[in-house]
Amino acid sequence: MEKNPGEEALALLRTRICDPNAFFSLLPPSPDTNFSKLKFIVSSSITEACNNSVLLLGPRGCGKTAVLELVLKDLLAEYPDMITVIKLNGLLHSDDNCALKEIARQLCVEHQLLFSKMASFDDNTQFVISMLRECGLAHKTIVIVLDEFDLFAQGKQRLLYSLLDAMQSVTSQAIIIGISCRLDADQLLEKRVRSRLSHRKLLFCPPSKDELERLLECLLSLPVNSSLPQSYVVEFNKELRKILADQKFKDSINTLLSSDSTVDQILRFLFLSVSTMDLKTGILSVENFKSVVEKINRKPKLEYLKDCSVLELYILVCMKRLEVKEQNSYNFNSVMKEYKAIHDSFQTPDSYARNVCLRAFEHLIQRELICFMDNRGYNQSIEFRSVKLLISPYELHQGLEKNQNCPSMLQKLMNQTGQRS
Amino acid sequence: MGNEETPQSSRRTTRSLASAIPSDNTSEAPRKSISYKPTIYDLIYRNRGDKISSLENLISSFPGRSSQITEVLGHLGPLNSPMFPLFMYGGASSGKTSIVLEIFRYLRRPFVYSSCVSCYSPRILFESILNQLAFHRRVEEYGYSSVKKCDKPSDFANFVKEALVSVLDILKGKSAKMSAKGRSADDLGNMIYLIIDDFELVREWDKSSTVLPFLFGLYRMLGLPEVGIIFISKVSPDGFYSNSGHIEPIPLFFPGYTEDNLRQIFMLKKEKSDLNSCFLDFVLKPFSRVTRQVDELSVAFCPLYEKYCEPLKVPGSNFSWETKQKRGDAKRRLFSHLVPHISPSLNQVFNISSHDVKATSDVVKGRTSVKKLGTQDDELDFHLSVSAKYLLISAFLASRNPATLDASFFDSTGGPSNGKKKRKCSEKSTEQKEMAEQELLLKGPGTFPLERLLAIFQCITYGADISIDEEEEVHDDDDDTLENQGAQNDLTSNVLLQVSSLCNANFISKGSSCPLEGSTRYKSTVSEELAVKIARSLKFPISRYLYRR
Repeated sequence: MEKNPGEEALALLRTRICDPNAFFSLLPPSPDTNFSKLKFIVSSSITEACNNSVLLLGPRGCGKTAVLELVLKDLLAEYPDMITVIKLNGLLHSDDNCALKEIARQLCVEHQLLFSKMASFDDNTQFVISMLRECGLAHKTIVIVLDEFDLFAQGKQRLLYSLLDAMQSVTSQAIIIGISCRLDADQLLEKRVRSRLSHRKLLFCPPSKDELERLLECLLSLPVNSSLPQSYVVEFNKELRKILADQKFKDSINTLLSSDSTVDQILRFLFLSVSTMDLKTGILSVENFKSVVEKINRKPKLEYLKDCSVLELYILVCMKRLEVKEQNSYNFNSVMKEYKAIHDSFQTPDSYARNVCLRAFEHLIQRELICFMDNRGYNQSIEFRSVKLLISPYELHQGLEKNQNCPSMLQKLMNQTGQRS
Repeated sequence: MGNEETPQSSRRTTRSLASAIPSDNTSEAPRKSISYKPTIYDLIYRNRGDKISSLENLISSFPGRSSQITEVLGHLGPLNSPMFPLFMYGGASSGKTSIVLEIFRYLRRPFVYSSCVSCYSPRILFESILNQLAFHRRVEEYGYSSVKKCDKPSDFANFVKEALVSVLDILKGKSAKMSAKGRSADDLGNMIYLIIDDFELVREWDKSSTVLPFLFGLYRMLGLPEVGIIFISKVSPDGFYSNSGHIEPIPLFFPGYTEDNLRQIFMLKKEKSDLNSCFLDFVLKPFSRVTRQVDELSVAFCPLYEKYCEPLKVPGSNFSWETKQKRGDAKRRLFSHLVPHISPSLNQVFNISSHDVKATSDVVKGRTSVKKLGTQDDELDFHLSVSAKYLLISAFLASRNPATLDASFFDSTGGPSNGKKKRKCSEKSTEQKEMAEQELLLKGPGTFPLERLLAIFQCITYGADISIDEEEEVHDDDDDTLENQGAQNDLTSNVLLQVSSLCNANFISKGSSCPLEGSTRYKSTVSEELAVKIARSLKFPISRYLYRR
């Protein structure tokens, strides 16, 4: 079967975008990137056989893990058989017992030892400490990566303390690398732990605009020497350069970055734009990029408001009116009273039985346009639990305007309540 | 839940079996013999009978969803292309699950589907995913056990990576063989997809909130580009924000159906399109003002459509659709037959007379259906014993009346001194009255200890027995008051049993114990209309005992 070059190119681009390390491997080598700093710290502690610790801090999606992975990949190639990498994640191993077990397990896998599932906490501690010593004597470095470092600082921090304490001895040779999205991660530590930690910190920031523009071309252009037909590649890359220079494209990138300029966001944007590529022509266009910006910057509450049936809108407006009347707490029954009052005074065609209203009320709860005030009173029926609106008056107003089914009467009512407040 | 269109298959049991439409290929679900050896093909959603092979077919079977389908397809991409995690959200019954499953059937790619409704705890979810990846079925042979015991996310992260790698190895071997033979049509590709449905329920699982960021970050943690993850949720992504954030998947919204879409959907199912379209002309507009969910509408439409067709079945009725004039006439006659049924049906949540319909709406509503029973009872006869009915009434009274007024209501010597209380009430200012009313609305029924319930029960049965005995002979009770007293003392053990069964039926809810008294407190969940109805069936003058503010 003949393969479509567009399809093949798409698969190639998607592979590239989905690889979190690709973005950072394209960055040019210079002495002040985080990559070279981190590499220097880690490699010097390997060659000098000393203990070290470093924290990688920065918002989510700025490439902390990706840069670390690249560094470790380089170093593993440079110093084979001298590094053992242990990876822990605060989400999974914040519990001391579990964490030590995992360290022991990974050490066993690395050194072809038999891991005992039944080993107790003490056994594992002993094992890890003696492994640290043995590795130190054999001049092997253990690199312990603690992802979500802030979660390890919960509780008594026994794991951190025992690891850092073991590293105080001369014989051991280990590097602890903590990764956290909390910039104050080291402030969370107890004094005894903090004093044992070397205060090296690397801060990761979103990429600058110039960097980004250079990278976009690298990420999206097709390689010349590949299985793809030559003429297609040339055409594709030419078209791509045209897009990148286009003002419309720059505008959409700017709107995207003004809300969130992390690498993750850019990659998501690129992924979506590339996946909308027309497979028949196999060429990207500005429209692909433009349409995606709206898709990423969503307004979920408004979307759900647009979905509401007329009865559900009535209930929302009733709740809004109750809020304007400064009733600090209200529940389904009071909403129903207001609903009846509206019906009595305006003779609306939409007056339904109580149970039907209750069902609509449940729909609203399901969509999280409204929610219960507190988690107490589970055994109470829904009618009596007090509720609150989860949307602002402005959102409700907009939602009513955008909803095609919304009766004009309801909009009038909403406007009245707006004026009164 | 939008599973009306989902055809049943042998493997998917969670949602497709609950669908109301019996599909014609149920017979093709063969009882798997013990010797059946599961293979990688078990991870593909397939029907041996009919095959949806074209994209047009797929799109036309989901009216109003073409843009969503193309978006999902674009996101999944061509064969062997990795993807970012996808987060699909939209209201109930907007076709999220069925569309994703149909798309995978169309694409013929292996996937693992778990719903957080049936997998109601992290452990069950983890084990369900692992079982499917290991082609493991929980059958008698293995004592219905899972392939691995997996409680913690940390274990799951290790196990699932192992399992995925082994499945991917099989897939790679397969696709290498396929491409050697040159049969790329049968190529499964070397991607595997994890679909987690009803994802909003995960938020309630743990208060320490680690499972949610863990599942969102699973893609990065696994580090396998061959794994695609799809989350399906009823709640929009902003309902998932947590303290320290998480890696965000790409959102994709499924909007609710518009009226036109709804019409197309309901036209899909019925064969008599002419008749059906007339019927929809009448009902769709009023009903879509109340709810736009397909499942609820179809529950409401089913009995109405039967009503609509009733005149056609009457022998001797001559409905003809030949000429335009006759057609208009027929329409008018059918409509006039239907009109009286529309507005009661609008005000009904579900129909109790039909067993089928009730079963489905029970599935949909689940949690609240029991409570609603209390309010919907036009034709419902209560098969309760007389003493249980009295108990219900006394519970209702105990919940509504303030405890301090019990003595004046039930004092056998004075009798209910209504006049006195009335005056007292009227002395209060209207403002205070309103406040009290408001309070009643907010607070709901009051709580009461068991002793008070029993005391009121004693009082009203004592009073009622006399009045009933005078009017009609109650067969099992003798007129002798002495014996009556004795019977009532015997009753207590019986009554306690009845109280507990009423609690189980959710007519009386059992609350937490009062911190001061230490005894359990109860609350009546019965609405006033129902209480009045029960009282009428007993000929018990409930209004005399009810305290009106």
